[in-house]
Amino acid sequence: MLQLDVRTKLLLVVIFSVLALVYQNPKVLALLLVVNILTLSILGLPLAIFRGFYKFIGLYVLLIVIQSFFVKSGEPLLKLGEMYLLTTDGIWYGLAIILRFLILAASGLFLMHCNPTELTLALVKLRLPYEIVLMVQIGIRFIPVFINELQNTFNAIQLRGVDLRRVYKRKVLRVYVSIFSPLLYSVWQKAEKLSILLELRGFRKVPVRTYYRDIALSRTDYVIMATALLMTAIFVYAVKGL
Amino acid sequence: MAFISIKQVSYTYNGRKKPAVKDVSLDIERGEKVAITGLNGSGKSTLAKLMLGLLKPQKGTVLLDGKPVQKYSLPEVGEKIGYLLQNPSQMLFNTTVYNEVAFGLKWRGKSRAEIHRICKGYLEHFDLWQLRDAFPFNLSEGQKQLVALTAILALQPACLVLDEPTKSIDVSRKKKLIEILEDIWRQGTGIIVISHDVGFITRFGGRRVHLVEGEVVDAAAGC
Ligand SMILES: Nc1ncnc2c1ncn2[C@@H]1O[C@H](COP(=O)(O)OP(=O)(O)O)[C@@H](O)[C@H]1O
Ligand SMILES: [Mg+2]
Repeated sequence: MLQLDVRTKLLLVVIFSVLALVYQNPKVLALLLVVNILTLSILGLPLAIFRGFYKFIGLYVLLIVIQSFFVKSGEPLLKLGEMYLLTTDGIWYGLAIILRFLILAASGLFLMHCNPTELTLALVKLRLPYEIVLMVQIGIRFIPVFINELQNTFNAIQLRGVDLRRVYKRKVLRVYVSIFSPLLYSVWQKAEKLSILLELRGFRKVPVRTYYRDIALSRTDYVIMATALLMTAIFVYAVKGL
Repeated sequence: MAFISIKQVSYTYNGRKKPAVKDVSLDIERGEKVAITGLNGSGKSTLAKLMLGLLKPQKGTVLLDGKPVQKYSLPEVGEKIGYLLQNPSQMLFNTTVYNEVAFGLKWRGKSRAEIHRICKGYLEHFDLWQLRDAFPFNLSEGQKQLVALTAILALQPACLVLDEPTKSIDVSRKKKLIEILEDIWRQGTGIIVISHDVGFITRFGGRRVHLVEGEVVDAAAGC
């Protein structure tokens, strides 16, 4: 894998995500996805995660049907009475959403293998206040832990007799509503504890925090950033007609 | 046939190299008293989660009452096994102590009067009745532990799996816990406790299963 600075990776994430949100034409988005995947593989980042995407095929089909249902334009391909089940435009818009989703997921991969400390440093060097950077870092670190805890609670609820999978029961909604505020409270309690712990250990005692580790942009980084920007310009120009 | 039958089960957490539980085989009979011991990180809690089907083993099978545990829904498992999580805070999700204990009973369709009787009985046993209107999240650790335990006991399952039930409770409540466990065990409830509290384990008795780095070793090896 190419050793890149986190800032370079961040730039790539920003470029791909912004382009994915700007363009709506599935042809352009498909091209963008191809470029994204090529970039990932050139940089030696693992693509294994894409193998899982076929599992969502049902969701894609559903998206297309929903789009057809609301987007009345285009040629109807499948009709049920007055209801459009499948239209050419529906397929078109559905496809755009799916591609966008895939591009966003793929650009997230740029950051997957970067060291959290380096990410912090990169954000600090981009002149974000340290407090916010730390919150981002804690957020990233704690989200999996928090999800795990919530999972434990949901398991405990179900073990006491509530089948949360059978959502068709009206009662289940009531359970969600009734457990929501205690859970929210426990999150708040945790946040409060964390803030006290941080202050006890001297957080913000001195205004400037220094780091033992340092990150630096290498020549490779500059080359890649420049190439990325150039490629973006070329891409934007090339797809103008599409 | 054993009530819980664990066959050659291994489990490795995502992103870990070493398995948390390794090639464990264990049969637990209906109504049996078992103490699972081992140092921190030896895989006790993981083994408990595997028994309940909360984790799916990468290798081996777990049978509950003769059927693979994955075939049951969680409420079905909960009817057979009462599980006390190692962290009791994660078991609390109601607005009052009373509701916490009554929650499972309501879902099992018990009448209001009966729920009241059961809740009062168990809460009084642990001197918690005066706390019935308190918000569970504001209790002390030991009180949370007892409330979570009471909520499980009140459901009167055929078997209990208690993960470190004595962790933060005081001496007098510990004695009461032993008494009540002894009592329900005599009435036929199977009890599996996970603990490294030597005093408690000694008084609890039962078969010892000792884990070292995820593997069951000879029980005589100590605690
Ligand atoms: N959610 C998890 N993710 C990754 N590793 C875990 C997780 N839970 C436990 N472990 C690891 O698995 C091993 C066994 O943990 P556990 O079963 O909780 O031990 P015990 O309950 O005996 O103290 C430990 O090394 C622990 O670090
Ligand atoms: Mg444990």
